[in-house]
Amino acid sequence: MRYTYSLGGPWALPVLTILCFAAVDARAVPSFARQTGMACAACHTVFPELTPFGREFKLNGYVMDNIKQITGIDAANRSTLSLNSIPPLSVMLQVSYTHTGAALPDSAATGALAKDGDVLFPQQASIFYAGKIADNLGAFMQLTYDGAADHFGFDNTDIRYARHFNLGAEGDGAKVHTLIVGVTLNNNPTIQDAWNTTPAWGFPYSGSNTAPSPITSTRIDSGGGGLGQNVAGLGVYAWYDSSVYAELSLYTAAIVGGAHPLDSTQAQVAHGVLPYWRLAYEHRWDRNSLEVGTYGIVAKQHPGNGLPLTGIVDQYTDAAVDAQYQFIGEDHLFTVLTTYINEKQKLDASFANALAQNQSNTLKTFKLMGEYYYQRTIGGALGYFDITGSTDALLYAPAPVGGSANGSPASSGITAEVNYLPWLNTKLQLQYTHYDKFNGTSNNYDGSGRNASNNDTTYVLAWINF
Amino acid sequence: MKLSQLIALSFATLPFIGGLAHAADAAAEKADPALQNTVQTCAACHGASGRSVAPTFPNLAAQTAPYLEAQLKAFKDQTRGDPDAQAYMWGMAAPLSEAMITELAAYYAKQTPAKGTGGDTALIARGKEVFEKGIPAAQIPACATCHGAHAQGMASFPRLAGQHAPYLLKQLLVIQSALRNAPVMHGVVKELTRDQMLAVTAYLESI
Repeated sequence: MRYTYSLGGPWALPVLTILCFAAVDARAVPSFARQTGMACAACHTVFPELTPFGREFKLNGYVMDNIKQITGIDAANRSTLSLNSIPPLSVMLQVSYTHTGAALPDSAATGALAKDGDVLFPQQASIFYAGKIADNLGAFMQLTYDGAADHFGFDNTDIRYARHFNLGAEGDGAKVHTLIVGVTLNNNPTIQDAWNTTPAWGFPYSGSNTAPSPITSTRIDSGGGGLGQNVAGLGVYAWYDSSVYAELSLYTAAIVGGAHPLDSTQAQVAHGVLPYWRLAYEHRWDRNSLEVGTYGIVAKQHPGNGLPLTGIVDQYTDAAVDAQYQFIGEDHLFTVLTTYINEKQKLDASFANALAQNQSNTLKTFKLMGEYYYQRTIGGALGYFDITGSTDALLYAPAPVGGSANGSPASSGITAEVNYLPWLNTKLQLQYTHYDKFNGTSNNYDGSGRNASNNDTTYVLAWINF
Repeated sequence: MKLSQLIALSFATLPFIGGLAHAADAAAEKADPALQNTVQTCAACHGASGRSVAPTFPNLAAQTAPYLEAQLKAFKDQTRGDPDAQAYMWGMAAPLSEAMITELAAYYAKQTPAKGTGGDTALIARGKEVFEKGIPAAQIPACATCHGAHAQGMASFPRLAGQHAPYLLKQLLVIQSALRNAPVMHGVVKELTRDQMLAVTAYLESI
């Protein structure tokens, strides 16, 4: 969670929640390289995007290893311990500079402006435990220091158990089918996913956390609505013949910090069990891979934030489709990622408490991105994003910078970036985001005279993993 | 669908998954479990039964056992130094025991080879000429002399038939530039031109 500047008034909470939209958490970890003895390029085109082998490694439970293990067996010769002799630890550091089209208002002095051109050292610093825990059991666990929020927090975590089976007879040319069956325990819907189309690992892989970002996002989208790191989920998945993936996970509220047991002081508290599904088909040929899939979640939530966690709830039903194409050549690498998320909102609780104007709303997000790299060293990406949805003057109310004058969440634009990787584990990035529309329109979108293009963001990043 | 029904459905599928797992276990029990585990790791890149999809990763099916054994040892002791060997195979081969290397080599040697795939017929014809007759003017001997008339390999000389052309091309280049240590082949291919390489690898991929 990243709160960048304070806004007063009744809109503070929704606006601040929405500012978290840009908090992109995407990682690649050298401890996996230490564990497997393979260079980053085996699992990543350019981090954090996964190659087909990277997907296999993840779905196999992060357990492939080649370093000395501390082992134990019982009387029946069953493995009771298989522990990496070197702990699979990694460090990630991001240092960034953000500049917006027009300076943002001062957080305290009325009419004054904040400094334009913000350096964060660090934007984020993370420590990971990422690797094997035991036979068939592995973890990806992240602790993050957030430079703007000035605290350490529990970040993305995925602990998984996986078994690999060969089906069918060996030899005689008979087709052998492979099946991986696994269980994942994680705290962010889509963190467990193996493609870069779904939100947790989607484009942009890093972005400014101090520039304004659109007023809302769908529940399943990165951190939107407080799902990421605010839920605990247990899921089962199957990966058949490296082509068909199916998963069903069930999430429940698990908010870090604040009042416990959870009570009315918490906001956007998941109610009951939230089912998440994922189906994907991947076809690989020559140096290409193509994935098409669907995913989604049904999220019931109490608005909280002063309202008791009882009675009627808001229900968000997110259904999404996605597709990914990768070409991994010796010199040239191409990727295309796209997803479309359709969210139906049934806002019984928010409507009854005058937090929403409509009882039913829709919210839609479309993202499309193309990327090219030369020899995994220099490359760039161009992404288009478009958020549209029902107009709701209470959900999307006017407020300086973060609000909407016309009650529409419509935001669209492009993100372009150029990346240089002098080493496989170091990315230097120049990113530019341009908004055609921001929170409803182009000109004076917030009712305080700010234009969408005033939020255009230049972002310079040094991203190092070791 | 009500949530209770959804949960019931998810539990209902568990026996199915369990049944598949049981069947798979039964099949795996027939073979050496340690070998099976290792082969599963190899399969992530080299494909089930050693027939790979991406041309970065060579087909291993029906490769000669002595060649496979020599390469795995060269990865393990880091004497095969071409870039992909370092990036992928040094790590993967490091924990393999001598006995496992022998077992793996024997396992892949007996798998059904990948089928050849067609391509530019004129190029393939030129490649066939190089493979069968060499290039006398450049004192390049026929490949078939060591690799077999059908490129099926002979002992420590590897099988080339049905191998991915981009993989073969890359090997010719790294052997020519001595990034990959292969004294005999280095001498043979040092005068081979890129066009000749493209032709002969296209031919080998096609058979």
